[in-house]
Amino acid sequence: MLTIGDKGKKLLADAATDFANKALLPDREENDKFPFGPFFDQALETALELGFLHLALPESMEGMGPGITDLCVVCDRLCQVDASMAGILFTNSFAQRLLLAAGEAKTLEEAAGQDSARKVLLAAPVFNNPGEIRHLARAEKDNKNRWRLTGGVPYVVLGGVAARAVLPAAVEGSKGFGWYVVNANSPQIVKSATVFSLGLHACPAVDMTIDGTPATPLAGPEDGADLFRQVADAMQLVAGAMAVGLMKGSFREALDYSKKRRQGGKRIVEWSELTRILAEMSIHARMAEAALDRACQAADHGEHSWEHLAAAVSLTACSLACEATTDGIQVLGGVGYMKEYGQEKRFRDAKQIQALLGLAPMRRIKYLRRMLR
Amino acid sequence: MRPPPFEDMLVSLDASARIPAGMVSETREVMALGRRFAREVVRPRALELDARLHEDPDHLDWEFVKTANEWGLYSMWLPKFFGGGGYNFMSMAPFIEEVSSQCLAMANLIGVHYLGVGTLSASWNAQIMRRVFSEVAQGEKTGEPCLISLAITEPSAGTDAEEVDLMDRGEMSCRITRCDGGYKVNGTKIFISNGHLSTWHMTMGFEDLSRPSETAIMLAVKTGTPGFSFGRIERKMGQKACPASVLVFDDCFVPDELVALDHRQFSGLSRSHRQTTMQVIDYVVSTSRAGVGAFGAGAARGAYEEALAFASETEVDGTLLVNHEWAQCLLAEMYKNVSLARLTYMETNYANALYGFFRLMGSAPFFYSMKYAPRPLLDRLSGLFGSGWATRMFRQTHLENQLESEAHRTSGWASLCKFTATDLAVKNGHLALELMGQAGLRHDRRVEKHLRDAKLLQIYEGTNQLNRLNLFKCMAGADCGQAEPFCDCPAA
Repeated sequence: MLTIGDKGKKLLADAATDFANKALLPDREENDKFPFGPFFDQALETALELGFLHLALPESMEGMGPGITDLCVVCDRLCQVDASMAGILFTNSFAQRLLLAAGEAKTLEEAAGQDSARKVLLAAPVFNNPGEIRHLARAEKDNKNRWRLTGGVPYVVLGGVAARAVLPAAVEGSKGFGWYVVNANSPQIVKSATVFSLGLHACPAVDMTIDGTPATPLAGPEDGADLFRQVADAMQLVAGAMAVGLMKGSFREALDYSKKRRQGGKRIVEWSELTRILAEMSIHARMAEAALDRACQAADHGEHSWEHLAAAVSLTACSLACEATTDGIQVLGGVGYMKEYGQEKRFRDAKQIQALLGLAPMRRIKYLRRMLR
Repeated sequence: MRPPPFEDMLVSLDASARIPAGMVSETREVMALGRRFAREVVRPRALELDARLHEDPDHLDWEFVKTANEWGLYSMWLPKFFGGGGYNFMSMAPFIEEVSSQCLAMANLIGVHYLGVGTLSASWNAQIMRRVFSEVAQGEKTGEPCLISLAITEPSAGTDAEEVDLMDRGEMSCRITRCDGGYKVNGTKIFISNGHLSTWHMTMGFEDLSRPSETAIMLAVKTGTPGFSFGRIERKMGQKACPASVLVFDDCFVPDELVALDHRQFSGLSRSHRQTTMQVIDYVVSTSRAGVGAFGAGAARGAYEEALAFASETEVDGTLLVNHEWAQCLLAEMYKNVSLARLTYMETNYANALYGFFRLMGSAPFFYSMKYAPRPLLDRLSGLFGSGWATRMFRQTHLENQLESEAHRTSGWASLCKFTATDLAVKNGHLALELMGQAGLRHDRRVEKHLRDAKLLQIYEGTNQLNRLNLFKCMAGADCGQAEPFCDCPAA
C-alpha cells in the first residue's frame, strides 16, 4: 500500500513490517504445519499488543475508526511475509464490522476489552456468502423468547481458536437469513478437527455442529444479506490488499533468487524470458497496489460508487496474485516448490484468499448486475 | 518461410496407417486396468496418504509400491524378452492419465520408474537392460519391488542438465573418473523422484566438468553400492508421496559391466559424443515428457471431475450450480483443457512410434511376434537379446538410423506436449477452485491437492520455459537460419 505523505500510515506500515519480520518470518515454515504443529499464540498476543486486532473498531474502542485503509496497510505488509496472520485479522475484522453494522456495540466492546487474543477474536465463515450457498444454521426462539441456533455451519474460520463466533442462520421457511453471535466454546457446539486446507494453515477453520446454543441476533432475522453486502463491500479491499502483499513478497523473493542463481553460464535474471516474467510480476503488483490505494481512498471518503471500484480492484488483485505466485514458484524452479522458501506458501495462500467472501465468478457477475441496477 | 512439413503437422494421420491394429485393443485393455487400479487402490488412499506425508514428510509409502508391484505395474511395459509384460509403451500414457486423475503422487510412484526404464533403454545397452529389467521382473515374483530412478539434476544444474548447449556453460559437478575396471563417481544429485524407493539409479556424470557434453557418461548404480548413499527427502508442496531424494556419491565405484554409455561405446557411432549425448537426452525426454503430459491430462481431469461433481450437488442462488450458464461454460473450458492435454500426449507418442523410441517395438512384425510368441521361446531368446549383438542392432536402428529431423520432431512434440498439458493442468486446478470456492479449499474435496500436485509438473522434466525453447529449437524456429536457440542477447 502506498503510504507516501501520510506519517500515521507509514508508522503503521513499518510496525506491521517489523512485526512480520520478527514474529512471523523466523517460524513461518513451522507455523504453517498447523494443525500438525503448534498454533502461533505468542505471535497472536503480540498482534493484540500492537493493536492489530482492533484496527476495524471505532476510536472509542481503541480502534482506527471507520476507514478501511489502515487495515489494508497492515494486511499488505503482513502478507509480504506470511499471510496467515492477515487471514486472522481479516476474519476478526469481518466479524467486528458485522457487529458494528448491526449496531451491536455491547458485544463488541465486551470482546474488544478482553486481555488475551483468543478471548478478543471473533470467528466467522468468511469464505462463503451465505446468500449464495446457504450454509446456514436454523434460528428459532425458545419458550423464553431467546434465540437459539441448531444445525451445521461448515468452515468457520477461527472457530477453534476464538471465544465467539458470528454465524449465519435462517428461520425455518425463510428465504433470507440473519447473523447471530454465539459462544464458540458453548457445550452445545461440537467442533470438527481443524479443516485441512490449501493455504493459510495458521488461520484455521472448523466445521460446527450446533444443538440449540443461545445466540444474540445482529439486526433482524432477514437482514443477513444486507449486512453481508455492507461489510463485504469494504472487506473485499482487505482481500485485495492481502493479494497485493503476496504479489510483492513473491516478486521480491523471485528477484533476489534470480540474482544469485546461475544457469547456462549466467545469472538467471540475465535471461530475457525470465526477465520478462519478473517484469510482469512487478508490473502487476505495482498496478494492483496503485489501484488498491485509489480504491481505499474512494472507500474512506465515501465517494460515489466506491463499492464498484472496490470490487473491480479486489477481484483483479486476487486474480493477478494467483498468476504472480504461480510464476513466483516458476522463477525459483525446483526449490520454489519446496517448503524452505516462501513461494509455495504464497501460491497456496493467494488461491485461498481469492475464495474470500464467496465464489469469485459469482462476485464478478454480481459486480455487473449491481452496476446495472 | 516454408510451410510446416506434413510429417510435423499430421503425425497421427500418418501413424494411423502404420500402427498395428492390435495396439488399439491392447490400449483399451490397459486403460480399463488403469481405471480399476485408480478406483480400487488409488482413490481410497490418496487423501489419507497426502495428509500423512504433511505430518511426516519422511514417510516412504512402501505399501503402495508393493501393491503396484503385485499388480505387475513395474514390469508391465518392459519387453517380454527381458521378462516384462510386453505391453506397448504407448498404452502407458492413458493408464497414467487414469491414475493421475485420482492422485499425481501415486501416478509418479509408477510413472517415474519408467523414466528410469526409458533412460536405460535410451542407451540401447542390451546387456544392462537385460540385467536390470530381469531384476524388476524378478522383484514382482518375489514381492520385493525393484524400481529404477533417473539421477540427473544437480544442486547447481537443473535446466542445464537437459540440453548440451546449456550444459557446457553450466556448473555441472558430478565427476566421473576412470579407474581400473570401471569408474568412480563423486557428486550429489538432487530432486531425484523415487530415489529412496529405487533399487537402481541411472546416473549421468561427466569425465571433464569443463566439457560435460563431450564427456557425459551414463551408469547404472545399485542401492547398497559402497560410496553411494541417500541424503534427505525434500519437503514439497505437493506430490508428497513421491519422494524427491538427494543421492550422494562418494568415490562410488561402478564396474564396466554397469556402464550404460561412455566414450568407448560412442566410438562406433557416426555422430560425435556431444551429438549422441543430445540424441540420447532427446530419446529420454521424448517419452518422459509425453508421460508428464499424461500426468497433466490426469490432473486436469481430476480437477474437472471434482468440480463437475460439486456443481451437480450444490445450489447457488437457489439454482444448481451446474445449471448456471457461466458454470457450464467454465466446465466446458475445463473439459476442453483435458482433451487438449490428451491430444498432445497422443500426438507425441505417435511421433515416437514413427520416428523415435517405439519405432522398432511399434512396428507390426515386431509387435505381433512379441505379443503372440510363446513365453518359453522368448525366454530362450532372452540371452540373444542381452548380447552385444542386440546392443549393436538397437543402436543401429535407433541411434544411427534416426535422422536429425526425426529426433527434432519427437523432441519438439514432446516439449509442446509437456508445457501445454501441464499448463492446462494448473489452469484446471485454478478454475476448479474458483468454481468451488470455500469447498474447494478443503483437503477432503481433493481439488486443492490436484492444484498443489500439478504445479510441480511445470517444473520437472525441464521447466516449461526450457521446453518452449526446445520447441523453438526443434520445430518452431528450425527453418529460421538466423535463430540461435539457448543463446539470448546480452542484457543492455
